[in-house]
Amino acid sequence: MPEIILKNVTKRFGKFVAVDNLNLVIENNAFITLLGPSGCGKTTTLRMIAGLETPTEGSISIDGKVVFDADQGINLPPNKRDVGFLFQNYALWPHMTVYQNIAFGLENLKWDKKRIADRVHELLGMLRIEQFEKRYPSELSGGQQQRVAIARTLAPGPKVLFMDEPLSNLDAKLRMEMRTELKRLHRDTDSTFVYVTHDQLEAMTLSTRVCIMDTGVLQQYVPPLEMYANPANLFVADFMGNPTMNFIDGTADVKGNTAEVTFGGLKGSFAADASIALSGKEVVVGIRPEYIRIDDDGAMEAAVYSTLPSGMETTVRLNVNGTQLTAVVFGDVDYPVDSKVRFDLTKTAILFDKATGKNVARGTLKLL
Amino acid sequence: MERTRKLQMRRLLGATRAYLSKPANIILLVFFAALCFLTLYPLLTMLLETVTVHSGREARAVRGLGQSTGDFTWYHFQKLLGTFDDGGEAGIRLSNSWIQFVEPLLNTLAVSVTASAIAILFGGTVAFLITRTDIKYKKFVSSVFVFPYVMPSWTLALFWQTFFKNVNIGTGTSNGIMASVFGIFAPEWLVYGYFPISLVLGLHYAPFAYILIGGILRNMDANLEEAATILKTSRLRIIRRITLPIVMPAMLSTFLLVFASSMSAYAVPVFLGSPVRYYVLSTKMKSLMDTYSGQAYIIAAIMILFGVAILLLNQRVTNSRKQFTTVTGKSGQISLIRLRKANRPIAILLVVVLLLVAVLPLITFALESVIIKAGDYSLSNMTLDFWIGRDLDYLDQGDSTGILLSTKVWKALGFSLLLAVTCSLAAGTSGILVGYGVAKRRGSKLASWVNSLSFFPYLMPSLAFGAIYLSMSSKIPWLRGFALLALVGAVKYLPFASRSGVNAMLQLSGEIEEAALITGVPWWKRMTRVIFPIQKSTFLSGYLLPMVSCMRELSLFVLLVPTSNTILTTMLMQYSEKGWAQFGNAINLLIIVVVLLVNFTVNKLTGASIDKGVGG
Repeated sequence: MPEIILKNVTKRFGKFVAVDNLNLVIENNAFITLLGPSGCGKTTTLRMIAGLETPTEGSISIDGKVVFDADQGINLPPNKRDVGFLFQNYALWPHMTVYQNIAFGLENLKWDKKRIADRVHELLGMLRIEQFEKRYPSELSGGQQQRVAIARTLAPGPKVLFMDEPLSNLDAKLRMEMRTELKRLHRDTDSTFVYVTHDQLEAMTLSTRVCIMDTGVLQQYVPPLEMYANPANLFVADFMGNPTMNFIDGTADVKGNTAEVTFGGLKGSFAADASIALSGKEVVVGIRPEYIRIDDDGAMEAAVYSTLPSGMETTVRLNVNGTQLTAVVFGDVDYPVDSKVRFDLTKTAILFDKATGKNVARGTLKLL
Repeated sequence: MERTRKLQMRRLLGATRAYLSKPANIILLVFFAALCFLTLYPLLTMLLETVTVHSGREARAVRGLGQSTGDFTWYHFQKLLGTFDDGGEAGIRLSNSWIQFVEPLLNTLAVSVTASAIAILFGGTVAFLITRTDIKYKKFVSSVFVFPYVMPSWTLALFWQTFFKNVNIGTGTSNGIMASVFGIFAPEWLVYGYFPISLVLGLHYAPFAYILIGGILRNMDANLEEAATILKTSRLRIIRRITLPIVMPAMLSTFLLVFASSMSAYAVPVFLGSPVRYYVLSTKMKSLMDTYSGQAYIIAAIMILFGVAILLLNQRVTNSRKQFTTVTGKSGQISLIRLRKANRPIAILLVVVLLLVAVLPLITFALESVIIKAGDYSLSNMTLDFWIGRDLDYLDQGDSTGILLSTKVWKALGFSLLLAVTCSLAAGTSGILVGYGVAKRRGSKLASWVNSLSFFPYLMPSLAFGAIYLSMSSKIPWLRGFALLALVGAVKYLPFASRSGVNAMLQLSGEIEEAALITGVPWWKRMTRVIFPIQKSTFLSGYLLPMVSCMRELSLFVLLVPTSNTILTTMLMQYSEKGWAQFGNAINLLIIVVVLLVNFTVNKLTGASIDKGVGG
């Protein structure tokens, strides 16, 4: 049963269009991330679903119940939507203790004291913050505050949980740890998560589906690995993956499912998975760094421009006839700068139409 | 056709309902309507008064023009602004326009510019010493320094007069301390007119400069100065090239605000100007009000125009200040300048000046309230009769008991306190609501209108504001007595409260409220349980400032009180005008003590303080 449905949702601030005709179906028990650069409309979208922002047009329903419809004049307030919201800077009330922060919302739901105490303690245990019950938020570390905020959001048992960049204020190590816990929490609470982030790694690792947006327009809405392997356009391809995909301008002669590609002083033959829907000749060739293999038997020679070894992997910048390519080598290897190496293309590459930026074919590219 | 219209109607209805479901929108709409009625409407009625014939002398003056009471006329404008030649050899300096308008205007400008300069120089220097150097007695200096601002503005004026007056000058009927004790007869320029008015106003508003400039200096990222130190810049050069430019906008802003306040000051020029017929616009307006009120209203309108121009200028200045707010960081490690050998002399000098300005006046008032014959400070000439005596008819000073036994004084004190509390509750609460509405809907037109309207009363010179409410009250039957005073006070002090309200709300991330909203906490509970407790001290400052201001207010109420015995300040004015010095000094001391007590109590109980409310 589909849980959250957005139909033709548009939000305008004066003349500025923040979200443009968005259609989205978020399935029950899904963990969705709204991904995009700042100002792309992802937070606005989240706030509209939660009821903190009023859309200009369109309709939104949660669990079969219409919570907003511009045409019918329906607009349920946030508290009638049975949702939870986790804010970026936690928004803990500084004048209340941890216990009071978690209990405050429940008091409003007219729960009796005993039930509130039980629920608060259950959550304190679940998030392993029992010992901080009587402390004030200012006496906690960032990570602990985050846990309190999560406990507060979970307390009334919302069916849907919205999170607005909840981990962006934490340091890298803690962020890793909280990601694991959020994923576990998603399973344990059995509810639908909608998560806003600008961090593609977070979107990749956490979600069941990624909704990527740019300037208010939905770009692609598929499971993360699929988005990574087959991005809909240049924007998505560029946004997903770190280090980013190599983009090389070139031309292609299309013959059915194959094409002769000339790019950056290189030549290759491209065998697509399906027919290539290219109108002109200008293309951008997209190759993931991990599909450039540095190997003594490689077909081409390149000079090492720089290396970034991290221990687990090394990012190598290559210079081939003036074109720069990024490659990733796994393991603790390093290459002297300006040394010569040989490389090859493995697995897939993607052809984008240079005029529209759209993905026209995915296939294998062999250097000639 | 029919269907699309129905659809449109429904959409409109839905949008309206969504709009009205947000408390911030309702607050803004209500305040917009109320503030239009309370600021723009009276302004309009006042402008009408400038072209209407009033009864009395005006009516007689225009009889020749074939006009009578209530008629439309340009006479007031013509008389006030266009009469530079009265015929005869008198010349321009004796013409009506010169005496009634040009000269007071020039005096006003001279006094205001000088006062602003003094305030910035004194306040700014102290702010720098306190925040940037290791000067001694910081705690004492910073707490006593705001005294003159908390005390009524005429305190220093009265002190000055009492101290320097002598029989040779002004309306001189008696000698002050200087003449009678030290035998020094001060020249007129030192005692009355331009010099003392500017100095007293400057000293009164110096704390204001101290608060504004000190705030910037305190928040300024010390890294900025340290970066220059690393580059081997000298201390003096750092101050000149880095510190000063960064506080420049705050200084300009202070200059403008002090200028506006000095321009509308009434009490100080009355005490230090009137005895030698030195008029500024505000005192001129008051004296014209009884005879040619049309011309008085024109002066009021011109003062408001000045106020608006200053506000616009200030807005431009503070908007350009925003470029600096990015550099004001949180780094608290400020390396203080070591004053070394100069430390003690500077500190002692500062303490002495503060004692002269903030403490000596109180001692003087106390002294003056217990001597029987003016000028004789021997113990045998002292009595507590003016405080607690009975059967004092022989003194011939209007009262038969000391002020602490006089029901008249207690009634006035009670009325003043009740008025202050009422105004503070009304203004403070409105300020919070305005702050909430403006912060929630910031960026929208309605919010910026309400924001400007709520600041508008600040620009209206108190006396002019009183005058326009006077003219408005004649049209609204229930607007009399306490209701009128409370309303005018609440509106006049709204800017203080709305400033702190907006500041408090802007500091608060919107998510704090949304976190409560999402769990279904109703609006009033979000306000009382979440928002108010978090920003308690700033909000309470929004209550404190109106209360203190109201307690010591004179010029706003002087035209509106039913009798001069209604509130303490007008009572003081009356005693002072009649020359009943001892009673006057006693009442003055009573007012100051009550104001300081209120300020101190609220500060200790809640942490709210004047300097938190004054944000510009």
